[in-house]
Parts: sequence; C-alpha cells; structure tokens
Amino acid sequence: MLALSLLLAVTAAGCGGDDGGGGDEQAATDTGEDAGGEPQRGGTFRIQTDAFEWTGNFDPTGEYLGTALGFYSSLLVRNLMGYRHVGGPEGNELIPDLAEAEPEISEDGLTYTFKIKPGVKFAPPVDRDVTSKDVLYAFKRIGTPSLVAQYGFYYSVIEGMAEFTEKGGLSAKGTNEISGIETPDDQTITFKLTEPTGDFLFRLSMPAAGPIPEEVAKCFMKAGEYGRFLIATGPYMLEGSDNLDATSCKSMKPLPGFNPNQRLIMVRNPNYDEATDTKEARENFVDRWEMTLNTNAQDIFDRVKSGSVELAHASEPPEVIREYTQNEDLKKNYHSDPGDRTWYITMNLTQPPFDDIHVRKAANLIMDKEGLRRAWGGSVKGDIAQHIVPDTMFNDELEDYAPYATEGDAGDVEKAMEEMKQSKYDTDQDGMCDAPQCKGVLHVTRTTDVWKAMVPVIEESLRKIGIQVTTREFEDSYTVIQTVKRQAPVSSTPGWGKDYADASTFMVLFDSRSILAEGNVNYSLVGLTGEQAKEVGAAGTTSGIPSIDADIDECNKLQDDERLSCWQDLDQKLMEEIVPWVPYLDANADFVTSDAVTHYVYDQFAGEPGWAHIAMDPSAG
Amino acid sequence: MGRYVIRRLLWAALIVFVVTLLTFVIFYVMPPGDPAIRFAGKQPTEATIREVREQLGLDKSLPKQYYTFVERLVTGDAAECPQGVEGCGWPGLWISYDSRTAVRQEIIERGPRTISLALGGAILWLVLGVSIGIISALKRRSLADRLAMGFALFGISAPVFWLGLLALFIFGSEGLGIDAFSTGYVEFSSDPVGWFSHLVLPWSVLALLYAAFYARMTRGNLIDTLGEDYIRTARAKGLPERKVIMKHGLRASLTPVVTMFGMDIALLIGGAVITETVFNLQGLGNFAVNSAASADLPAVVGVTLVLAVAVAVMSLVVDVVYAYLDPRVRYS
Repeated sequence: MLALSLLLAVTAAGCGGDDGGGGDEQAATDTGEDAGGEPQRGGTFRIQTDAFEWTGNFDPTGEYLGTALGFYSSLLVRNLMGYRHVGGPEGNELIPDLAEAEPEISEDGLTYTFKIKPGVKFAPPVDRDVTSKDVLYAFKRIGTPSLVAQYGFYYSVIEGMAEFTEKGGLSAKGTNEISGIETPDDQTITFKLTEPTGDFLFRLSMPAAGPIPEEVAKCFMKAGEYGRFLIATGPYMLEGSDNLDATSCKSMKPLPGFNPNQRLIMVRNPNYDEATDTKEARENFVDRWEMTLNTNAQDIFDRVKSGSVELAHASEPPEVIREYTQNEDLKKNYHSDPGDRTWYITMNLTQPPFDDIHVRKAANLIMDKEGLRRAWGGSVKGDIAQHIVPDTMFNDELEDYAPYATEGDAGDVEKAMEEMKQSKYDTDQDGMCDAPQCKGVLHVTRTTDVWKAMVPVIEESLRKIGIQVTTREFEDSYTVIQTVKRQAPVSSTPGWGKDYADASTFMVLFDSRSILAEGNVNYSLVGLTGEQAKEVGAAGTTSGIPSIDADIDECNKLQDDERLSCWQDLDQKLMEEIVPWVPYLDANADFVTSDAVTHYVYDQFAGEPGWAHIAMDPSAG
Repeated sequence: MGRYVIRRLLWAALIVFVVTLLTFVIFYVMPPGDPAIRFAGKQPTEATIREVREQLGLDKSLPKQYYTFVERLVTGDAAECPQGVEGCGWPGLWISYDSRTAVRQEIIERGPRTISLALGGAILWLVLGVSIGIISALKRRSLADRLAMGFALFGISAPVFWLGLLALFIFGSEGLGIDAFSTGYVEFSSDPVGWFSHLVLPWSVLALLYAAFYARMTRGNLIDTLGEDYIRTARAKGLPERKVIMKHGLRASLTPVVTMFGMDIALLIGGAVITETVFNLQGLGNFAVNSAASADLPAVVGVTLVLAVAVAVMSLVVDVVYAYLDPRVRYS
C-alpha cells in the first residue's frame, strides 16, 4: 500500500504543477459519454507515458503500481472477483469475474467457497482451462519470499499462509502447502481464514490473487521475472505470447510485448470467450494497446492534440490544464474523475503545539483549503476534502459531513480562535497560540511546485491563530516524516490512495500496531504508547495518546452495510475526537485524450481509464 | 606511422585496463556498506542480495572479485545468464537486478540511437563550424564576419533544451505541422528516410551549439596561423591564395579542432542527455540517467565502461589524425 501510495503521490504531485493559474472550470466526467455515436470495435490505442515506474516489473505477484493494476484488472488477468471498470461508487463494487457467482461464506465468516467458471482459458501457448489449482498457485507465489509480493500482507489472514512463507514458500525443500486453501476439484476453491475479514473479497480482487499457470511461471522464481512472460486470462495478452516456446524453461524468451523500460503492447487473446464475461465488466472495443515511453512530457500532449497518440499518461503541465478546461473544443477531451485519494496536512500528536486537540481542531478551522486547492490548479483537481476517507468509497453517504466547514472553505478566524481559546498553548485565552511552543514550528514539505505554492497559504492560515511555522522543503520529505525520531510536528507532504474500495486501506494509517521507527506511515502517531515511543524513538508527549485499534478490529470483522457504517463512524470519530489531519483535497485522476477517442470511461477501482470500455475511431490508430 | 599507431593502440589498451580498475574501485570498493545491497536494486530482498553476492563473487577477496569482473567483461556472460534474461553475451556487462534485463542488450538497443545522434550532429557541426570559422577569419571585420560571430554567440548562449523545444514548436503540430520531423527514433534498417527525418532536428540543435564553438576556434586559430611567417613566405613565392589557406593555413590551424572533435564525439556517445530527452530518442544518456535515478548500479557500471571505452577509442582516432595533420607528432 505504501509503495502504491507513494507512487500515487508522485503522480498526483506532478499532476498539479500549477501555481494558481490552472483552469477552474469542471472538465468532462467519466460516465462514458460518447463523442462519436455508437462505440466501434477496432483500432490501435496509443498511450504515451513520461515514465514507467513499475514496482515489480509487471509480475502480478509483486507489481503494486496503480497503472499496472488497471491493465491487469481490465485487460489481462481475471480474478475470482472483479469490477465493472466504470466510474463512481458502482465502479468500486465487486462482481464475480473468474468465479461463477458470489462465494458461499460460512456463518462464522471464516470459510469462503468459490466455483470457477468453466471455459475461461489461458492465452497461448498454455491454451487450457483455468482451474482452481491455478488460483492456488498464485497464492503460493504470494507466499514465496523470493517473489516479493508487495501487498502479500493482505493474505496473512488465510490459515497456514504464514507457515507456508516461513518454510520458504515454493522454494522450500519437500512438500509445502497452504493449509487454508483447498481445491477439491478443478472448479472449486475454498479459503479458510484465521479471523473474520470483512474485506476478504476485495483482497481477492487484487491482481496478485489472479490465476497463474505453473507450467510457465515455475521457471521464474525471482521477483519481477514472470512479468516478461505473463500468460493472460483476460481479453488481451502481451504481444508475442502466441509465439512463446514453453516447451522448457530454457526455450522461453521474454515476450516482445513488454520491456520494463520501453513498452507495453497488448493484443487480443484468441482464447478469450466473451460468453464467460459480461458486457458490464468488459466491452473490449479496441484491437490493440500500445503504451510507450516519451521522455518529453510536453511532446506527449502535443501528440495527443494532433492525434498521433490517443491518451497521455503523464502529469499535465499547467498550460495544458488551462487549455483543456477553457477551450470549448478541447473540454470534452479532458477527463477528471475522483481518484479515491486524499491529500492532507498531518499533525504529530506527540509534538507541541499539535499535542493539544484544540490546536489541531483550530488548524482545521483556520486552514484556507480553497487556497490550497488553487495551488493544485483549481476545482478541476478535485473536491475539498472534509474528512479522511474519500466520499466515493462511502457511496457519497458522508458527502455532507464537514465538521470544520467554513464559508468558501477559506478558513474562519472567529471559529478557529474560539477553539484555540481552549488550548493550554493560548495562555491568555485570546484565541491566539502564544506559548513559546507556537513559534518556529517545523513544517516539512516537498520541493515541487504544488507544495511550494501551498507554503504561503499554510503559513498565513496558521499565523492567524498565532502559530508561526518554519517551512523546510526536502527532496526526500517522505523519508523525513516516515522517520519517527525526526519528530516532524506538521507536514503537508502526504497523500494516500486506496488499494481497493474499503476504508480499512485508509485506517491502517492510524493503527498503532503499524508504527515503525523508519518507513512509518502513521505520521500522526495515533495510538502510540509510552513503550512504543521508546522503541521507535518518539519524543515529546508520548502518554495519553488516544488509540483506535479496537475500533479498527471491530469494523474489520463486519461485512457489507454494517462494515460501511462502522468505517463511517470511525472516520467521524477520527475527525472529531482525535483530529490527526487537516484533509484538504479529494484528488481527481485526470487524463487527456485525443479526438479519436469516441467513448471514454473511468475505472474507479484502479483510478485509471476504464480500458475495458474505451472505444476509438478505428481509422485513427 | 605504423609504429606510432601500434604504440597508440597499446596505450589505449592500457587506458581501458585502468578504466576497468577504476570502475571496479569506484563502484565495488569505495562506497561504504555491502556492495551486494547496492547492486541488488531499489527494493532488494534477502534472496536477491544472496544471488548478487554469489553471481558477482562478492564473498571472495577483492583481487578475485576484480578478476571475475574483468573475466566476465572480456569473455562475455552468455554462459551464466540467469533464466528469463535475454541478451547476455560479449562484452559481459551483466544484468540489471531491477528490470531483469541484460545491460548489454539495453546498450545494444540504445547505442545506435546515441551514435546516430552523435555522428550525424558531429558531421553537421564540423562542416558548419569550420566553414563559418574560415569565412569569418578570411573576411575579418566584414558584415559576414560579424554575422557569423553573432551566430556563434547565439549558438553558445542558447541552451540545448530551449533550442530543442523551440525547434519542436516551429516544426511540430503547433507550428508547421511537419510530422516527419516529430520526436522519437526510427530504426535505419526499417526506414532510412524516417531515420533521417526524425534525426534532422536533434542533429541541427546539437550542431548549432557545437558549431558555434568550432567556428570561434577555427576563426581564432586560422587568424593566428595566417599571421605566421611561413604563410607570408607561401604567398611571397606566388602560391594561389586558395592553396595558401587550405594547405598551409587550415591544416595547421585544425589540429586543436581535431582534438576537440574527438573528445566531443566520445562524450556524446556517453549520452547527450538533454537532446535525447527533448527529442525522445531514449539513447544511452537517458539510460544512464534513469539508471542512476533508480539506483540500478549494474546499468550505471555498464554505461560508464562504454563511455570510457568510447573516449579511449576516440583518443586513439584523434591521435592518428593528429599525426597525419602534423607529422612532428609521430616522432615525439
């Protein structure tokens, strides 16, 4: 999750490289509006990116980059449970994909039994039906240390997974099995869990849990190797898959369709049977996908505009945002949709003056969130965030929840001062932070344009309630705030995006059990105990810090509506009783397409274009 | 001349040997900590670190490690190439543990891009620079001289990235819309015309910068040379002016230009990073920068060695040409 979020952060960071001059008008949304009538089949869809940032060389077991998750889920890998690959809350809902139907879940919530659809085949050269053993094999790879499953922790709730890993996974000498996964026949697979896990189906929708053919993958037992030999089960496959000589490990040469530094090319999978899929999940209009590198980001946008590339997968320069949001002819080609990621200012609960909840509440009330959004490029970059978890993930049920709302989201001096009066750091109760701890408070931020543009807004907002921050920009600002002993009191560096549409993927940020001395993502140190403080090198106020660990455990046991409601309550508790953040932006994911793209859909799960539904003018590509 | 060339060849071989030694010391020995961790990429696992240690012989003595390093370089690494990695061979530059690709393969794929850029640009800037320098030297203080030197000043002052973006703006979709001049690289073998047209702008941009230096240098040297006594003698004995300039003047004034030319080409083969980036050529320069940014040490070592060898080879070429232009060099 960390890797993904850091990458999302980097991507989004670049996305808004504007210092205030971005367009403020809303762009086209994701609902699949057609620019050119009925979507047509065919065409080569050309995507250019300014950087390939694979985290696991496109091996589904280890890969954690959002872009890759989007391609797998839409085009290449069919998991037991999948998505519709559309925008909005509907796009976050699970539907059976490789599974015939929803699983049978035992009453205690510990056993999940799936039936696999008949007729789903692996792409050439494997050319055979997918069986339950292929799914089991994927889990064995997840549990194999040498393959570095970057989100393998999601599957530690499966009985026997930890033991399997401890023995070395697939590299163990002798027999090694995962006791909690059974495959009584080719169509049936059963998972036994050690504890009720309400989001287990979401975890199964992650690409690492998709079927992998052992006869090919067994040759690639090091992290990132299998990515160049990936055998698809979805409607597309890597180019050259049909020419792969899989007669022995030695005879297999990397597929020409994927080179981690240069290209990703996908063509139709001849073994894909539409009858095993649904149109609501995949329509597969495009014939061929070509994603290539272009080191000149401006040139990518020029090419999209001139029609020699269909989609820019790069951070839009400010002038591009302006042009596409203000020019009526181009507006339809700028797509901006909720990215299910929150950008926030984190406050350290151990460091004065933020060790006082009234100061943290006052910071929420005084912050000019609209000013911060302008620094990002305006309303086109997303909605103002009023709480922790993005609204889309709560089916917009907390859309009206705004505990620190101010007029125009510009901050309210009067309300903030009222709150500050209750703080011990306001020694004369005049609404201003006047204790010595309120001066020279270190504010950690990044060196990039958006963050630089936010600095005066943050400094000026906090100054209105007497907090004088000293801003320091760091190239490696994430490292600074992730190292507990550096005791950063406040930072505008972080943002967080979901892995899947369950609030647990956000709540891990407040779980005291996840606090680490280095690489820590619970920046506010919510739930830190005195003993932990010594272990990780935390100093300052290290006692009496509230914990939500028990709440997290409680919510994690629940399912469906009860679960959703539990997370909503916890989000509100965090915002009102703990106040670790000043959330300011529910960031959008934005993409620019060419005129040739006749049908654009956004994939809410991946935060990427909905490749499975996109259509283009076949004569263009 | 033959003995001279042999001497220079031996000298070049010694330089390459020293370069391998220095590269080994810089990347294997000098940095603190476990070299296996450094070579294992951004997110190394215990298994990868063990693999690196074993494959690079890092658990052995330093001389043995160096021997393995040089042996692989000289004899190639095809025999030991890990499963799933394609493109190992000679010279053995080993693999990137980050992308699981053979460094040699990456260099072979990207090398022609950089070499095409460097050589094409070099021919253009040499012709342009020397011609402008000659005209400027012969027509001192004339309008042609001032225009030529104004051009040189512009070329030296204009940053390459700006010139590149300007060229793309003028010829790209926002300007004249000439698709043939667009960014990217086309293989010569698949489409020679496309190869040429995609390189015209990068060549021109590079040439503009370098031609300016060459024009100024040629002008200065030629003016100095034309003031020498033997030029006056040549004229006095009635040689045609063209012969005086081309045979006696230019030949003597070109020796420093040749030195600079060789070194410039060698350095460009190491990568014209900015030009490659602006024109999306994805050559060795890009590869080196991306590898350094992602802490992909085997790739960085590979590019370093290639660059070092390129410099050594070009030094050799320069020495030979120098000897041709100035026979005194051969006997020194």
